[in-house]
Amino acid sequence: MPIERPIRRTRTLLLSGAFAALAVLGGRAAAQVDDHSYSATDIQAGFRIYSAQCQLCHGPGGDQIAGVNLARQRFKRAVSDDDIKATVTSGLPAAGMPAFRFQPAELNSIVAFIRSGFDTSATPFKLGDAGRGRAVFEGKGGCTACHQPRGEGRLNAPSLAEVGANRQPVEIQRYLLEPDKAMLPINRRATITTRDGRTVQGRRLNEDSYSVQVRDADQRLHSIAKADIRTYDLARTSGMPSYAGKLSEGELADLMAYLVSLKGN
Amino acid sequence: MRAQIATMFAALALFLLAPLTAPAAEVSSARITAAASEPQNWLTYGGAYNSQRYSALTQITPANVGKLKSQWVLQDNVIGVWQSNPLVIDGVMYVTQRPNDVIALDAKTGKVFWQYRYTPSADAKVCCGSNNRGVAMLGDTLYMGTLDAHVVAIDARTGTRLWDKALADLNLGYSITMAPLVVKDEIVVGLGGGEFGIRGFITALDARTGAEKWKFYTIPGPGEPGHDTWRETDWQHGGGSAWVTGSYDPSLNLIYWGIGNPGPDWNAAQRPGDNLYSDSVIALDADTGKLKWHYQFTPNDNYDYDSVQVPVLADIAWQGRPTKVMMWANRNGNFYVLDRATGKFLSGTPFVKVNWMSGFDANGRPIQTPQPTGAATYPGNQGGTNWFPPAFNPKTGLFYVSAWENYGTIYRREQATYEAGKVFVGGGGAVVAPAPGSPTPGIGRKNLINNWTSETGNGAAVAIDPKTGKRAWTFPQYDVTEAGMMTSASGLVFTGGREGYVYALDAKTGKELWKAHLGGQINMAPITYAVDGKQFVAVIAGRTLVSFALEN
Repeated sequence: MPIERPIRRTRTLLLSGAFAALAVLGGRAAAQVDDHSYSATDIQAGFRIYSAQCQLCHGPGGDQIAGVNLARQRFKRAVSDDDIKATVTSGLPAAGMPAFRFQPAELNSIVAFIRSGFDTSATPFKLGDAGRGRAVFEGKGGCTACHQPRGEGRLNAPSLAEVGANRQPVEIQRYLLEPDKAMLPINRRATITTRDGRTVQGRRLNEDSYSVQVRDADQRLHSIAKADIRTYDLARTSGMPSYAGKLSEGELADLMAYLVSLKGN
Repeated sequence: MRAQIATMFAALALFLLAPLTAPAAEVSSARITAAASEPQNWLTYGGAYNSQRYSALTQITPANVGKLKSQWVLQDNVIGVWQSNPLVIDGVMYVTQRPNDVIALDAKTGKVFWQYRYTPSADAKVCCGSNNRGVAMLGDTLYMGTLDAHVVAIDARTGTRLWDKALADLNLGYSITMAPLVVKDEIVVGLGGGEFGIRGFITALDARTGAEKWKFYTIPGPGEPGHDTWRETDWQHGGGSAWVTGSYDPSLNLIYWGIGNPGPDWNAAQRPGDNLYSDSVIALDADTGKLKWHYQFTPNDNYDYDSVQVPVLADIAWQGRPTKVMMWANRNGNFYVLDRATGKFLSGTPFVKVNWMSGFDANGRPIQTPQPTGAATYPGNQGGTNWFPPAFNPKTGLFYVSAWENYGTIYRREQATYEAGKVFVGGGGAVVAPAPGSPTPGIGRKNLINNWTSETGNGAAVAIDPKTGKRAWTFPQYDVTEAGMMTSASGLVFTGGREGYVYALDAKTGKELWKAHLGGQINMAPITYAVDGKQFVAVIAGRTLVSFALEN
């Protein structure tokens, strides 16, 4: 059974955790996340509240206030879930944000919607401890076999240095559990044979009406005119294994928390 | 004899000097009416009042188009998509750049004469980019609409401002992004702001003074016909923007204009009724602005199917009878033919996948088939086509349009609360994609120019036979396209796409005859013109305006 973490942690503890993570990551900023479960019911309820109460100022994408992007977890002050709740409850009179009187359950819902990255499909997810998640990443998960901390790793596995800034938690979860369904179409592995008999295999980088660009396993770049292509196959499966059933629920939550914390410099 | 020689020398001197001086261009409504007789010029947004974007120039042909070469390039110095349609009048090109600059340049060499800069208010609100689609010209004056809903008149010789008129309260979300239309001595403009709960209007200004001659509200108020298609006070924030240039038929003295979405965009349940004249074409008396007829493409629109396309006018044989028709490829995915004298619906045919309706009743009203919650509606939110101008070639009898294929949106409906100047849309939507987070077609592009996959929809240049509504040919493109169309008497179609290619296609078959990659999105239809007997094709891609011609 996965170990259940206490839901509430103090801000001091969180901050010290964040500093520890910063040290471990060699100076890379790691935004701290709480050890929380976010249910579909909460995300959906949060979406309703957000649409009615928050959207007029913060916008449908949460990015309408300068310096704030709620869907991307970019706040002026808030770090923890409790910080978000405090801001909503007390308001920011200097910035023109009113104080809202919400019930605790409503506040939980708003936080869940924000933490989901405005995921209107309301897929539940759980975030554990980022420090332990890093241990899973480097240990049991075997992720470093393909993913390097910076740049692209072996077999063209993409860099995860900014995955927490570029992907919603639910998208990251989907990559871990159903990589074939989660992979972006542009990233499909291409196998191309040319009219002059060459074979190029690698990750598709770009494509337009007349050409396709591929990087092979040796990191060589190929730009091939479609007029020169004899056969062109795109793999419908990802090279990444599914972690469904391979990691415990707690390990998955920890790994998720680590990945969500990777937001680049 | 001596006097004759002197006269000859004087005439010769004038002839030699003429190309060196900026020619005195005096545009009149009569001249625009007869635009076909001076194909060296591009006198108005759609090339002529019929907006066919058809040129009688024939120097560039299917046989020699492969030899087109870039003659000059103008670099834009602002950021964002460049959607401007240049005018060319007697060798001088007038083009706008973001947000509200006008540049006059030598259309033969690309050398700039002057630049006029208007700085719109920082409080101007636009939903979808600080766009400007060009100027209009009358006499020796240029007219531009601005992001903060002004119209400015500019001396075409000097680039100095003559007058400046505010048309609406920008704090309510009004803006102007379209190129004005000159009709007689009027400057006709339509307002934008359909995502901010405006009440849209079209207005005609006195070209000399900017004084209002007439004003037509696109959302009828109490006592006006069509008001009963709104419940209670919904009309006050009913939208109905008019942000793309209309057309004009001098023989009927009617101005035709496409009207945008009702507000809020995606929650039709919040505004029961047909919501006239949203998503309609309206025919207005050019002198009074009085409504002559209307046809509504999408009653009680639930999908943001703005009808802000350019009405294309032609006189064709319809079921054996010569008929003044209007052709319209609508954002809602249907291609329409209407009788433009009466507004009578003649035909409507889907030109892309359509599932929001299943057909038309006897009066041409769509039979709507709303999709279940969570299911995709086709075409998607940006439509089967959009604002980018189509073309019609009287010689081939074909209508050309930039289309978006295999593109659907799953909508979300929400109650919207009106607050002045704030976004008033009532929900949102997600484009059908093979994996969550996939880049999908929408307004603008953030990823690399060739970073695309046709798994989320693709574009095509499409030729439609108006007599059948069926496609004559399809030129598929890997990415979607906002390029619009231009066609010529020699049997060519010029278009492009977001991938940065500009193409010349065979107007009869759609066969690719020439292409060039310009490295930036093409967001406006090419134009063609001639200077000193040389035909040019000008196109804007990314931040460059390139003019092509055959090498001497």
